[in-house]
Amino acid sequence: MKIPVEDGYFRIPEDREASPVLLGSYSPAAKTYFWPRRKRCPVTLEPVEDRELSTEGEIYSWTFVLMPWLGSMEQDAGGGFGACQVDLPEGVRIQAPLEGQMGDWSIGQRVRLVTRTVGQDDDGNELCTIAFRLTGEGE
Amino acid sequence: MDRDVYVIGVGMHRFGKHDVSRRDMAYVAGMAALEDANISFRDVGTLYTGYIGGNMLDGVTYAKDFGLTGLPVIHIENASATGSSAFREAVMAISGGNCEVAMALGFDGQLRNVSAAGGPRRPTMDSNLLPAAFFAFWAVRRMHDNGTTVETFAKIAAKNWNHARFNKYAERQAEKEITPEVVLAAPMVAYPHTAMMACGAGAGAAAAIVATREVAERLAGGRPLVKVVASQMQSERYQPGHVFLGAIVGPSESTRFTANLAYQEAGLGPEDLDLVHVHDAFPIEELMYYELLGICPDGEGDRMVAEGATTIGGRIPFSTDGGLIGRGHPGGPTGLAQIWDVTQQLRGESGARQVEGAQVGLAHMMGAGSVCVVHILKREK
Repeated sequence: MKIPVEDGYFRIPEDREASPVLLGSYSPAAKTYFWPRRKRCPVTLEPVEDRELSTEGEIYSWTFVLMPWLGSMEQDAGGGFGACQVDLPEGVRIQAPLEGQMGDWSIGQRVRLVTRTVGQDDDGNELCTIAFRLTGEGE
Repeated sequence: MDRDVYVIGVGMHRFGKHDVSRRDMAYVAGMAALEDANISFRDVGTLYTGYIGGNMLDGVTYAKDFGLTGLPVIHIENASATGSSAFREAVMAISGGNCEVAMALGFDGQLRNVSAAGGPRRPTMDSNLLPAAFFAFWAVRRMHDNGTTVETFAKIAAKNWNHARFNKYAERQAEKEITPEVVLAAPMVAYPHTAMMACGAGAGAAAAIVATREVAERLAGGRPLVKVVASQMQSERYQPGHVFLGAIVGPSESTRFTANLAYQEAGLGPEDLDLVHVHDAFPIEELMYYELLGICPDGEGDRMVAEGATTIGGRIPFSTDGGLIGRGHPGGPTGLAQIWDVTQQLRGESGARQVEGAQVGLAHMMGAGSVCVVHILKREK
């Protein structure tokens, strides 16, 4: 069973094919959405409301990371991974791993949320974070 | 500031990958600063220790190596801005009348197996991405919006490697001049940044001692005084596209806002600066800080690189000791290494890397989380 690596950031729908859903906040006073959830509106300091956010957005920026440690001159045996910042329609910017390889991505492309398994708990559950995938890729 | 504050002593232990213990490095840097100031540890009224790694007792424990004088010892931690924050607290201690002499001492060992968020390496939402990715996002977006090229990033990195060649305390000591082509040929870290564009992450220590005008004048011994004319720190303010989770040092506007406060406090502007230090963990940062610090209009940073304006001998040299890329970035001591270089530059003691006639220097650091710290130092007499 897939479960979030930490509570409070996203939920995994019962429909296994559906995208994970980000758990955000909305500030009526500032008319602004946030992720992750805020205890107060960071702009007005007024209360916020819990909101679920869109599962698709556009790439604001991207990169391909080949080494885990700053300044290291040794190649990472892991082979690297994509990463991106994505703007959701609500105006929220999310950064997360990006599925694919160097050359696959460009700014403005549409992506959707998927889960990314990062470990296993003592009960055998798959611990998941979020990642993005180009829409139409591997669907 | 309520009372004028002066830097009276600076000291360093070389940054880099070596086997010297954190404790020994801290002692060497601290004693060098005391000797530079020509004072005894007994004269220090308060000690601020800055470190990211190690144990919570290290600061007060290492202080015992200088003597047991009963002085207050406080541990400061603010990610990459730890040393800058410790220096700021020392400045505030003098400005506020808490003591006549205060010392900031930063030290850290080599970065080992810690997550982007600084904790142990285990899967969490907060450690989803590394700082290398965060700054690469800045770079790719800049290339998209402004047409910045990878060659521009390589020129900035090569400059800082070459500045480090004239700093015996720098982590990276290239035997010959580094060209942009060499930088570009290094292994990729996070597109478009190569390993030679990434800051060094070795060990090191640095210290700075500040004091009142009266003390500074008494100890000057013919050397020019170095006055702290601005000390400003800001945490984040909301900006469109604000990122809340991960290894973040944004939004970039934090630099513009904090620098403006510093310029206002100092009664100076970017046109008055003779040299600048920034949080150049990757060259995209230095490029953007040219603009965010007001050194040039937005979008004209690339032209400054092309003209060599930020090289020693240029219009406004940046990262004159090598910066984070060349001198290195152990964490705790980095901001104090900036103060070390600016102080020496303003005294005219920087040898081959001296900025001729330097009168005013700015030191800027970002700390993940995030905070921005800006200090402006000015030569007097």
